[in-house]
Amino acid sequence: MNERTLSYALLVPAFVIVIATTIYPLAYSFVTSFREWDLTKQLRPSGFVGLQNYAHAATESGFQNSLWVTTIFVVTSVILTVVLAMSLALLLRRTGRLHTFTRIILILPFAMSPALIGVSYRFMFNPEFGVLAKGLGAVFPALEGTPWLANPDLAMAILVITDVWHWAPYMTFMCLGGLASVPRETEEAARIDGASNLRIVFGIILPQMKGVLLVTAVLKTIFALKMFDQVVTLTGGGPGTSTETMAFFIFNVGFEWFDMGYASALAWILTIITMVISAWYVRMLLSERKMATA
Amino acid sequence: MKRTTSALAIAAMVFGSQALAWEATEGRPYEGQTVNVLAVKSSQFEAHEARLAAFEDATGIDVVYDYVPFPNMREALTTEMVAGSGDYDVVSIMDQWVPSLQLLLQPIDDEIAAQGTDLSDFPKAHLRHGMLDGNLVGLPVRGHVQLLFYRTDLLEAAGVTPPATWEDMVTAAKAVQDSSDAAGVALPYGKLNGQNLMVWMNLLWGKGGDLFGEDGSPVFNSDAGVAATDMYVGFLQDDQIAPAGSAVFVEQDAVNSFKQGNSAMLPVWWWVRSQLTDPEQSKLSAEQVGFTALPSVAGSDRTTYTNTWIFGVTGGSDNKDAAAEFLGWLTDPALEREVLLDPELSEVVAVHMSNLSDAEVNARWGGMHQAAADALATADGIEFGADWPRIAEILETAISSLASGEETNTQAALDKAAEEIAAIR
Repeated sequence: MNERTLSYALLVPAFVIVIATTIYPLAYSFVTSFREWDLTKQLRPSGFVGLQNYAHAATESGFQNSLWVTTIFVVTSVILTVVLAMSLALLLRRTGRLHTFTRIILILPFAMSPALIGVSYRFMFNPEFGVLAKGLGAVFPALEGTPWLANPDLAMAILVITDVWHWAPYMTFMCLGGLASVPRETEEAARIDGASNLRIVFGIILPQMKGVLLVTAVLKTIFALKMFDQVVTLTGGGPGTSTETMAFFIFNVGFEWFDMGYASALAWILTIITMVISAWYVRMLLSERKMATA
Repeated sequence: MKRTTSALAIAAMVFGSQALAWEATEGRPYEGQTVNVLAVKSSQFEAHEARLAAFEDATGIDVVYDYVPFPNMREALTTEMVAGSGDYDVVSIMDQWVPSLQLLLQPIDDEIAAQGTDLSDFPKAHLRHGMLDGNLVGLPVRGHVQLLFYRTDLLEAAGVTPPATWEDMVTAAKAVQDSSDAAGVALPYGKLNGQNLMVWMNLLWGKGGDLFGEDGSPVFNSDAGVAATDMYVGFLQDDQIAPAGSAVFVEQDAVNSFKQGNSAMLPVWWWVRSQLTDPEQSKLSAEQVGFTALPSVAGSDRTTYTNTWIFGVTGGSDNKDAAAEFLGWLTDPALEREVLLDPELSEVVAVHMSNLSDAEVNARWGGMHQAAADALATADGIEFGADWPRIAEILETAISSLASGEETNTQAALDKAAEEIAAIR
């Protein structure tokens, strides 16, 4: 066996695993999305129904609501996470014991399970005994006894907060990595010329961080589109349907209602949305790099 | 032909006065077979498992239990159904999941008849969930009725007696709130497995309404349905007798509120009693926790929503007869009674009328079982279809929307829910 054949042969196990665990399930769910499969009546998919499952998604209020909820969630959580991460990175880029210590403990929220975060925040915002609910009530007496998660807008706000709290540390480290590549000389030159800190951040640092911020935003968008765990443990999709994200809705359709054909179609719609957004971001990123190297 | 199992008879003599009715099949025809059981995590089922030696000695059948926590149980059953591997011979299934998991089960009419199981001893509301298309696919092993738990000290201090009607409950709750810091009643309005429907359903029945008409179409948006919903949501919004966070409370939140001493009354499943008086889980002593039958709507009969766990034999099982033999032993009223009277346990759940009316059982549990028997005597239970999980989700969303104020028009919310449900039926 020559070296070239051997190298291909060594790739076979990995190739088989990828096909079995990724390609096949994806292909199967794609085919299923064009079929009728009510798991309460049949253990395997039945006949093809063309685009019926996709057409149903276009008119069904539950899915449209989840699309709107997901849009609100993604936009707010991505913007807040990226802004907070960049701000924290600017604060932590200096060296020193306190900064190093802060960087270390900063990773703790990211190390927590999203489901556990949801449960914790649910307890903390319980108006009877929640530490955050009680704390806010103590500082602002008008808020005492506020049923935080019972209000649709507040429930969404808290869902976003838990997500930002979870992801901001990781994104901060990405930004810190990006900041390390920004030449200090440019900053120092601007400072000598009398530029304010704000001017330096917006005029020098951020333009050079654009690529990193785009990657950060792409990743955060993908993760936000898949928001599921905290919805289950924090709000259960409620009150009403105010926090029913797409992933949560798809789970319900597939594993609560057992409508596997429709759930597969919805999952592919979510996949396509994610791919389109990612492609758009990457295109922006590449055009940015082209301009930078031109 | 059957023969009396000496080991079980001895066990019955040790633990109780009622002899086991179940007898092992003569000749131990299933000796050497293994019955694998997939059960939801429950102290009651663990008590059964602890008594397996008698069954295994009598039959030669080896029984292996695997437990799954409740939140993961339906997924575990679904996986077993889709795989069809026969990894498990016997499974426990909650009533509302049975129709949607019907492909997991197989009829066991003949096998259970051969076991001599007395089906007439099961309350109708429980037994109906083991029937699919006229066939028996499972037997009730765990069943619940609702009771109203109350704080004896708080009601006494407020000068009120345990309420017999929902209207009285509002009066009592307000009196308690006037004389203490506790909320009147802990109720779930949040979304989780239809838990916010469980009190609402009683109000619906009490007001003369129902979920569906005879033709299967939704009728819960009738005048009676609107009145029931207004009453339920009114406890929170108008009467203000429920804790402020109740709009998102699920059942466990309501239970926690009561256990923490934050609420004076709690309409919930009877099995919760052991939690309410457990010093490791609750701030309350046994003397502080009283119970009474679930209130009724003034002028109407008492009702109770029921919850049932059946045990059935999987379609993929290669040991159907051995599994049925196990079910015969598991559903013997004497085994249930033994667990109820075991002083080492605090297990109240019973699904046999003979045990619910048993004097010794009622003496131990303060008459709780007779109260349950009375409630079950007139309880029909709900006919769950395969689409129930979706129907429950639509209904609980409507209740949640109204409780949170996201929706303010009860008639409109119920009409929308009825329209959505009609579209899927």
